[in-house]
Amino acid sequence: MLAIQVLINALVLGCLYACIAIGFSLVWGVLNVINLIHGSFIVLGAYLAWGAYQWAGISPWYALMIAAPSFFILGYLLQRLLLNRVITAPVLVTLTLTFGLDLILNNAMIYYFKADYRKLILSPPTGSVSIFDVIVPVDRLIATGSALALTFLLYLLLRRSKVGRAIVAVRLDRDAAVLMGVDVKSIYAIAFGLGAALAGCAGVLMALIFPISPLTSSAYLGKAFVVCVLGGLGSVSGALAGGILLALVEGIGSVYLGPAHAVTLSFVLLIVFLIVRPQGLLGRKGFE
Amino acid sequence: MLHPRPGFSARVSASLFLAAVAVGTVVPGASAQEVIRFGAPLPITGPLAPEAVKQQQGYDLWAEQANKAGGITVGGKKYKVEIVYADYQSNTPRSVQTTEQMITQDKVNFMFGPFGSGAAKAASTIAEKYKVPMLAATASSSQVYDQNYKYLFGTFTPNDTLTTPLTNLVKAKAADVKKVAILARNDLFPLAIAQEMEKSAKANGLEVVYSEKYAINTLDHSATLSQIKSLAPQWIFVTGYTNDLLLIRKQMGDQQIKAGVVTMIAGPAYQEFIDSAGASAENISSASWWHPAEQYDGKDLFGSTANFVKLFKDKYKLEPDYAHASAAVCGALLQMAIEKAGSLDRDKVRDELAKMDVVTFWGPVKFGGNGQINSLEPPVFQIQGGKPVVLFPEAIKQGEFKLGVN
Repeated sequence: MLAIQVLINALVLGCLYACIAIGFSLVWGVLNVINLIHGSFIVLGAYLAWGAYQWAGISPWYALMIAAPSFFILGYLLQRLLLNRVITAPVLVTLTLTFGLDLILNNAMIYYFKADYRKLILSPPTGSVSIFDVIVPVDRLIATGSALALTFLLYLLLRRSKVGRAIVAVRLDRDAAVLMGVDVKSIYAIAFGLGAALAGCAGVLMALIFPISPLTSSAYLGKAFVVCVLGGLGSVSGALAGGILLALVEGIGSVYLGPAHAVTLSFVLLIVFLIVRPQGLLGRKGFE
Repeated sequence: MLHPRPGFSARVSASLFLAAVAVGTVVPGASAQEVIRFGAPLPITGPLAPEAVKQQQGYDLWAEQANKAGGITVGGKKYKVEIVYADYQSNTPRSVQTTEQMITQDKVNFMFGPFGSGAAKAASTIAEKYKVPMLAATASSSQVYDQNYKYLFGTFTPNDTLTTPLTNLVKAKAADVKKVAILARNDLFPLAIAQEMEKSAKANGLEVVYSEKYAINTLDHSATLSQIKSLAPQWIFVTGYTNDLLLIRKQMGDQQIKAGVVTMIAGPAYQEFIDSAGASAENISSASWWHPAEQYDGKDLFGSTANFVKLFKDKYKLEPDYAHASAAVCGALLQMAIEKAGSLDRDKVRDELAKMDVVTFWGPVKFGGNGQINSLEPPVFQIQGGKPVVLFPEAIKQGEFKLGVN
């Protein structure tokens, strides 16, 4: 029974990891920018959910609808006004810029929200469901469902819409896309905006599950990084596969090797993937 | 094609850089009067930032109260208190550099220790080298004091003084507790407490069915908790900081884990844990070095524990915890030692600290030969009805131990 419980825990957690990573993966895949502000965006989204519920009684499900457009605008403007200026520079330049932006946003959050940990407690609590002695918390189930829905929406957007096709085109071959009349700068801004919107929504969902503090941003960023490498960059289904793989390794590792080694094991897996399969589980060669 | 505008970029980068730079700050005392400078290296940024806030609030309250009373009297003359703060960015090696810089460049008269046992041990080497008395507000591990330094003093008793009374209480009140599961954060203080707990449980004939540590920054404990649940312990003992303990408590509820006794150290000592955990904090037991419900009538600047709590609440609008109180009492103790010595001579003040035997709002203060306090009896408490209730020591007991955490 323990094995099944651990397996179910890992599947649910894997979807949450995918939710954390998907925006990061999109930005890295399309813009070739390692967006270090991603973790802080997630935390900001969590504060938005917490504040909306605490002060205005707005349920996190509605907060998702506020988070998505406001984070899109924030991300769009950041890319338009700052990142687009250095986007063609070597990757270290954009990395440094997002690192600096992250420092500013993170310290601003410490200043305004204090570094204290807060928790969004729904009233009444959502509780857990038990199926044949396997227990799954309802809030995680809902967050998992929302994560899958967001992933599916992004997939549809990229596959079916004109903007989505343009994003994929820029990702595949920037120069060819320019020749086909795609406004690359605007596509970059839209992709970064989408990445930020996904991070904001992930934050709202994570607020239901994890304690909220600016100090947790690095943990989110670390997970996003590992999931992307495992799953494959810029691939929507890759983020899901990477998330589940990571959660499985951590879950099994913590039961059989002890929880202290679960994180070590996940980073060992990361190194193995970088050596053996740098394009990730579902990424295509040439995009690693 | 991009058309960079270097002027604009440079302006933006410069302003971003300026905004990002954190600098050391000085809390101003009065300028006309002579001052005594106290150095306080703190992890103002980085993962330990919340702890720095607590210590800073404690020091500031003491400085404010001391200055309000005219300052510190040295040989009939009044000196204002000035605290020099510097940020060591939660980086232990940097706390050592910062301490040296404060002594040699900022010319502080006396030092407070940096946060926690690790950094305090490292920085105490510098204080010893320059023969500057250093009071560590948050260092409990006995390894900090086993160097037998002359100039280092600490206001936390050794870790076993927290776990032993807890085990005794559980043995006395919950006879059916036979199996204990221990889960510890892989970090100096939480791990040390867990090791003491394991020793204390074994010495009292309890079976330790699970004893593991989790990595710092662990985002999910579901697999670990499922395993603990399968072992059916009656006592679950978890150590860590507020974020870990909130997450673990939430996930215990998610997995419907129930136990007769659940102990968490150090989260429940903090008001933010109680606020954030809500109803799930009910009946969680804990222990810490000080509690606002204590009733000491002290000879220090703050006088009674109740008066300290009132002053703190008036200033910060929140309930003080042991970290706030320890920082404030360090200031008050240094003040008493300086006034008693009647001089700013570091050796004389050091000698006064060494022979100190006084009751303060923090409790009775007497330092052992190694510099660590040995007079304090840390309280055991439990969250009941959303409030911490002291269960031990008998003298300040507020309620009975309740079993059952759901």
